[in-house]
Formats: sequence, structure tokens, C-alpha cells
Amino acid sequence: MSYKLTRIDPDAPQSSQYPVGERRIVDDPMDDQVHRNVFMGKLENIMHNVVNWGRKNSLWPYNFGLSCCYVEMTTAFTAPHDIARFGSEVLRASPRQADVMVISGTCFIKMAPIIQELYDQMLEPKWVISMGSCANSGGMYDIYSVVQGVDKFLPIDVYIPGCPPRPEAFLQGLQLLQDSIQQERRPLTWVVGDQGVYKAEMPSQREKRRDERIAVTELRSPDEV
Amino acid sequence: MTTEISQADATTFAIVDELKARFGEANLVVQPTLTGMPVVWVAREQLIEVMRFVQQVNKPFVMLYDLHGVDERLRMHRRGLPPADFTVFYQLMSLERNSELMIKVALHEDDLRVPTLCHVYLNANWYEREVFDMFGIEFTGHPHLTRMLMPPTWNGHPLRKDYPARATEFDPYTLTMEGQDREQEALRFDPEAWGMKRHSGDTDYMFLNLGPNHPSVHGVFRIALQLDGEEVVDCVPDIGYHHRGAEKMAERQSWHSYIPYTDRIDYTGGVMNNLPYILAVEKLAGITVTPRAETIRVMMAEMFRINSHLLFLGTFLQDLGAMSPVFYTFSDRQRAYHVIEAITGFRMHPAWFRIGGVAHDLPRGWDRLVREFLDWMPPRLDEYERAMMDNSIVRERTVGIATHTTAEALTWGVTGPNLRATGLKYDLRKARPYSGYERFDFDIPVGTNGDVFDRGMLRIEEMRQSLRIIEQCLKNMPEGDYKADHPLTTPPPRDKMLQHIETLITHFLQVSWGPVLKANESFQMIEATKGLNSYYLTSDGNTMSYRTRIRTPSFAHLQHIPAVINGGFVPDLIAHLGSIDFVMADVDR
Ligand code: SF4
Repeated sequence: MSYKLTRIDPDAPQSSQYPVGERRIVDDPMDDQVHRNVFMGKLENIMHNVVNWGRKNSLWPYNFGLSCCYVEMTTAFTAPHDIARFGSEVLRASPRQADVMVISGTCFIKMAPIIQELYDQMLEPKWVISMGSCANSGGMYDIYSVVQGVDKFLPIDVYIPGCPPRPEAFLQGLQLLQDSIQQERRPLTWVVGDQGVYKAEMPSQREKRRDERIAVTELRSPDEV
Repeated sequence: MTTEISQADATTFAIVDELKARFGEANLVVQPTLTGMPVVWVAREQLIEVMRFVQQVNKPFVMLYDLHGVDERLRMHRRGLPPADFTVFYQLMSLERNSELMIKVALHEDDLRVPTLCHVYLNANWYEREVFDMFGIEFTGHPHLTRMLMPPTWNGHPLRKDYPARATEFDPYTLTMEGQDREQEALRFDPEAWGMKRHSGDTDYMFLNLGPNHPSVHGVFRIALQLDGEEVVDCVPDIGYHHRGAEKMAERQSWHSYIPYTDRIDYTGGVMNNLPYILAVEKLAGITVTPRAETIRVMMAEMFRINSHLLFLGTFLQDLGAMSPVFYTFSDRQRAYHVIEAITGFRMHPAWFRIGGVAHDLPRGWDRLVREFLDWMPPRLDEYERAMMDNSIVRERTVGIATHTTAEALTWGVTGPNLRATGLKYDLRKARPYSGYERFDFDIPVGTNGDVFDRGMLRIEEMRQSLRIIEQCLKNMPEGDYKADHPLTTPPPRDKMLQHIETLITHFLQVSWGPVLKANESFQMIEATKGLNSYYLTSDGNTMSYRTRIRTPSFAHLQHIPAVINGGFVPDLIAHLGSIDFVMADVDR
């Protein structure tokens, strides 16, 4: 599996564009290490697995919403969908305490610098979910005041399609994020080893499910409830 | 029936004679339209005088309902109208006459100035700022004419015809580190610019920036507070963080393909938003829809009213610190969505109404689902009333808090439940029924004190009334077609299309180019979930609208905040914000 390596540059010049930092695709960093020392490699692997397991099952979302999609996002937090099953019910009103920011709604040019500021205030490890067509690409709003996709300045981990996506889709997006977190390689400590963040390149759901979707031939009639 | 209508017309148009008598026939141009209200052009020099006159005339026009502009430069069909490059229009509302009046002022490109109306109608303030932002028209004498919706660093005036609509016509958006600092700096609140003092006597005021992202502001709304301890001395709401250019969008979507955009204006209102737009388009097209289509529309609109009020109730109480109500109301919403989804095929934004009817007929078995919902809700509402509104903490936080009077509400253009909470029995569904509301039997709940508590209670009562309306729809659903048999019905009825080549051609043209509507102006107002919502459409004989003005209730409600909250405490502000029930898409469009 290939990984995306991100390295933060604390001395980035003021003129650099967001997302700041170096990004490139590399091989699994664990592969090298395993060849160097079998025992330490195994140990590190276990450590990563344990830490990632803890992280992915207590993702605290930031209480942040932009527009319509936010309503469906909050719906996922309430009784009928009960996000607590996935360990993400602890909505935080402060970016400092949150792990994941869900861009649920349209990203406006007037709002973009503020979103960036809030993202910067979140502490690592942090993730971003882009929820809904507007956040993914501008959606149906190809209009002067809307940023055509929030990935123009934020690094996105999961894209959820839909306008708005159903709460179930949001929950699925959250689980996909969990899967990807399980594969991550983040520095286990700030004194030892490589300080880059390695995120696994996860398979595209569209490709994964294409055959299954195309195989569907019978659709339910809308004339019946 | 006919005499009734002509009588209503006579009272509506009486103001024209009064204006003529006062200002002389030669000074006015009366424009014939399909808006159902008199449209009168006056000279810029006379504007203030005319406004003062209609404000004080017998049966006065108490409310400035709307104010906006039109770029007339590309309009082809304007025979008989005064020459103009830009127009500013003022829409006034009279309760006693039960009608509106539109005043228009023609402007020329090299002299885009109009005297401000802020001293006559207080709520002109925000509207004028928006027109300045969108068209670059200057309002002389305005106390604070700055950008409203666009960022302070923006160039150009988006609603001008020569301003590109698409983001993809500009360079792709990028944000650099210094760019971010610059934008953030430009948004910094400057108390002096708003005439606020930093100190007075022995107090140093604190300035608190609430929003644009704060759990209690329901999205992206910002309000800068001048605080003396916990007391709000003054405050400045700042909007525009949710401006999606919906009005500009209408100028490039066909009449038909614009329907989904209307859903997203008040995004908790679903198909309720389609209604004013569709009704206005049908006026332009001259379509009368079938009683079945009307009743289906009313039923779905009321479903969404309940849905929206449930969302309100949950979040309102959550803003007051109650955690559980939102879980209860959202599980009710889930049940409402069950019905909505079965009928329309979508949850939040069905875009389900069509020009001339609705998208589909009701599916078999719809009545059972609606029945279940009707049986489920009433005990829940009773429980909410008992468990939440009888709660002593809620009462302490809300009774007598953020009160305003009817007169004040009218001055600020406040409508809907927030207006009725002050005790005024004004509901457009009764005052000027549309879409067949005259056939339904329901009451208009009103409050007494106009405080936070009344605004909350009133909505519970409104849900009961909506249930009554839905019940009547269920029992008396008319038989017949769900689409009107009219050449402009879009898309045309499918069974006809499959049989007649004529209809097939129309079908093809309407879904590829879109229907062509005759040049004229039309208007429709409805009692939406949050107040009076209206579409004012200008057609230039094309497949697209020439100008679409969307008047939304929440815009007015937010402008009203300082008048209510100054002198109150911060927790009162939070309670008030919860109680006015706004969504930012309904403010910034
Ligand atoms: S994707 Fe659709 S539902 Fe979501 S914010 Fe955009 S318009 Fe609203």
C-alpha cells in the first residue's frame, strides 16, 4: 500500500499557499524498518496499531457547520442515528479539543480564511471530512462567492458525496476515516524517528463498488410507498 | 367571487389615486404588472416625500417590506417605463389595506445616487447596504454604507449585469498565509467605525466577537458585542458569511432548473421554498393548477413547517442548555422524513414542485403514512409543552426576555411567528390565501408578550395547526391530475408526451432550453416557516429570469437584534438568537 507523506515546515515563507508543507506519495515506511530490525519493527508495528485503534475509536468532532449539510450532520448525532456507537458523540465547541473537523456545507470565499484559522487552531493529530457536494467541489454553486471545493486550501481525508448526504452516508464516511486512521503512521514520540505523517492511500469507494452497482437492474418503483 | 376580487383590487389600487392627488399625475408613472400590487415610478427628488406620505396616509403603509435594485441596462422589454440604467425599488406593506405598494426610482449610470430612507423607515439600513454592495448604488446620508454580503476586500458589484456569475470564470481560489492574515485583519471589528466608545466614565468596555462560528449562532453569523460586564451595551450583527449568490444564479438557470436552488434558501423549509417561486412563475405563465396539485402542495408545505419547527424547538432548548429535547424532536423529524421521503423521494431538498403542478402523483399507500404521522405527533407535542415549556429553568430564562412590541416589530420588518408572538393576528395564509389555503380550517395562534417564551410556545401551537391542515388534506384529497394541462407546464404530463407529437416537442424544448415566459413582472409572497418569504420575478421574455429578488424573513429578523438586545445580558442574547429561528441561508441567500 502506498502512503502520503506530509511534513510540516515551521519556517514556511508567508507567501506559501495553503495547505502548507511538503506532500508526496511514498511506500509504506514500515517496510524499510522491518528489514533493518525484525524485533523492533514488529514492536513498532504493534505500537502503531494500538495507538491508531485508540485514536480512531474516539474521534471528537468539532462543532462546526456551514449550511444545509450541517443539519444532516447533526441528525447523525441524535437518537435515531446515534453516532455514539462509533465513539464520536463528544462534540467539542473549541477547535483545541477536537480531532476531526467536518466541513459540512458550502465554503464561501468570505468564510475560507476563518475556516483555515480554525483548522490551524486544532491540534495534531487532526483530520478533515468534506461533507456534501458544495464542500467537495462547489456543487451546484458555481458562483462568484463560493470556493469550488474546500480542498483548494485544506487537506481532506474523506469526501462524502450527496446534496446533502444522508446521515447514514455521514456515518459511513466516518467509518472510512476510521479505517484510514488504522493504517496511519504518525511519529510515536517527538524525540525518536521520522517526524513525518504517513497516511495510507485508501481505495476509492466508487471503483470498489462499481461492479456491484452496475449489477443492479431492478429499481424500486416510486408509485408505491 | 368576482366582485370580491375586484373590490380587493380597488382597495389595493386606491393608493395610486391618493398619490396622484398629492403629487400630480404627471409626476408618476404607473407600471402595469402581474405582481398584484400597484407599481409606481417616482422621481428621485420626490422619493423621500412620497415615502413620508405613504407612511402617514390614512391606512398607512407601516412596514418597509423590501428594498432592492435592478440593473436595467440589458432589459429589452421596457416600453412605457422611464429610461433607467439602474432601478431601486421599495416595497411597502399596509396591514389595514391588506396590500403592498411598490415604488421605483430610475437612476442613470453616471449618477448612481439616491437619498437614504433610513430616517423614514429604520430597517432600510441593511437593505441599502446590500444594494450598495451588489450594485454600487450610493445612498446619500446613509449612516454606515459599507459592504454587507461580500468581504470588505472585494472588488466589483456582483449583481450588475457585466459582472461574471461563475466562480470558474475567475482564477481558481487560492489562499496564502499572508492572504489569510490580510483577510482576517479586514474583518477585525473596529468599534470607532460604528461610533462606539471604548471607555465611558470609569468603565472600560469589552468587545466580544461572537461568531462567525459559534454553537449558538446556527451556522455562520457573527455579532460583535460591546460589553459592560455581562450587559450588552451595543451590538453589531455582521452577515454575509453564507452568501451563495442565489439571486444571480437565477439569471443563468432556466425557469425550471432554478427550482432546486429555491429549496436551499431556507434549508429547513424544503418544498415550502418552492411554493412562492412556482406560484410567481405560474402567474407569469398564466397557469391555473388543479385542486389536487394545490392540496398536495399545501400538505407537503405543512409537513415541512412541522419539520422546521421541530428543528427549531430542539435547537432552541439546546441553546438554553437543555441537552435532551433535541434527541426527542429529531426522532420526530425522522418520522416526518419517512413520510416526506416516501412521497417526494428526498429528505431535505426534494425540489418537488413543478411549474404547473408537482413532480409525481402521490404514491399508493401515502395516506397510511400520513395517518401514522398524524397519530404520532399530538401526544408528543403535549409532552413537549409539559416537559419543556413548563420547566422552571426554561421559564426563568425566557419569560419577559428580549421582548418587543407589535409596533416595533413592524418598524423592523419582523414577520411570521416572531410578529404573531407580539399579539398581532397576521398570517398570510388567512389574510391573503394562496394555493387554496382558503379551503382549510385552522387557527392563528398568537402570543401576548412578544418575549422568548412566547416565540417558543407559539411554534408548538403552530405545529398543532399544521397537523389540522394535513388532516384535512388527508381526508379531502381531491381527485384529478397532479399537473395542469397547459402548454407551459414543465415538464408536460408524461402520458400526453408519449402520445402527442406536439407535447413531445414541447417536452424536448422545455427540458433542453426551458420554457419561455412572456415579458412581465410577477410576485408571490407566502407565510413560510420563519415569516414572509417572497419572490419578485422580472421576465424579459426569455428562458431565464431577468432579475429574481428573494425577500427572506430572517434578514429582517437579524437586523432587529440590536434594538431588542441592547441593555440586556449575554445569556439573553443567546436565548433570543435561539428564539428567532433563523438559518443563515435565509439571511444571505
Ligand atoms: S451540498 Fe447541497 S445540502 Fe450540502 S450545503 Fe451544499 S447545497 Fe446544501
